Amino acid sequence: MKNPNTLKKKLASRFLKAMKKLKYKMSPSPPASIAEKKRRHRAVRAAAYASMASAVGPRRAWSRALLRKMKGRKRARRNPGNMNTRFGLNHLCDIVPGGEAMDSCSLLNETAHYIKCLVAQVQIMREILHSSSSSSTIL
Amino acid sequence: MSSRRQQSRQSGASRITDDQIADLVSKLQQLIPEIRSRRSNKSSASKVLQETCNYIRNLHQEVDDLSHRLSGLLQSTDADSAQATIIRSLLM
Repeated sequence: MKNPNTLKKKLASRFLKAMKKLKYKMSPSPPASIAEKKRRHRAVRAAAYASMASAVGPRRAWSRALLRKMKGRKRARRNPGNMNTRFGLNHLCDIVPGGEAMDSCSLLNETAHYIKCLVAQVQIMREILHSSSSSSTIL
Repeated sequence: MSSRRQQSRQSGASRITDDQIADLVSKLQQLIPEIRSRRSNKSSASKVLQETCNYIRNLHQEVDDLSHRLSGLLQSTDADSAQATIIRSLLM
């Protein structure tokens, strides 16, 4: 199993790069309209999922699905019939990126990894918020 | 885990056994704080999956909330010091 710290560092550096890019793209004055605020919100959220997907790369089906979505490619084929609906996997496959194309085993594996990455991403975003709101960053 | 996969391929039409599913579901169980804290091992598979869906939805919502707050801070965020702080905290 991957070292979770390595993953977190990778996620962090990509997300921070994306945030820097966003910062330079924007005008220095605070957003005037609600539409502009929404645009920035959506841009940050997109950057979060984009950096998750690119940090993991093509190694996982969920990240491949996200990358395809970002590039505007077509979705993978829907999985014909291997869904074990008895267990309620039909909801999960709609929530995990690319889930509709996976068999039950893959879906469960992918879900576990997806959760780990989401948790790491959330931690990173919280830490960025925390470090920005504190007045100084001395150790 | 990989040997189990090979077994299912050998038995033909990629039949996935209930055992394999139960196994993976219990693995998922470990990741979900809601269930971990409940102390009982008796969650049914469908309960675990339901909790998993809820958990992921909550995480998506958190990403959304945090994105909202971060977008507000975007003007003043110093990416470099944030990065340094995060990496320092990871190394400790």
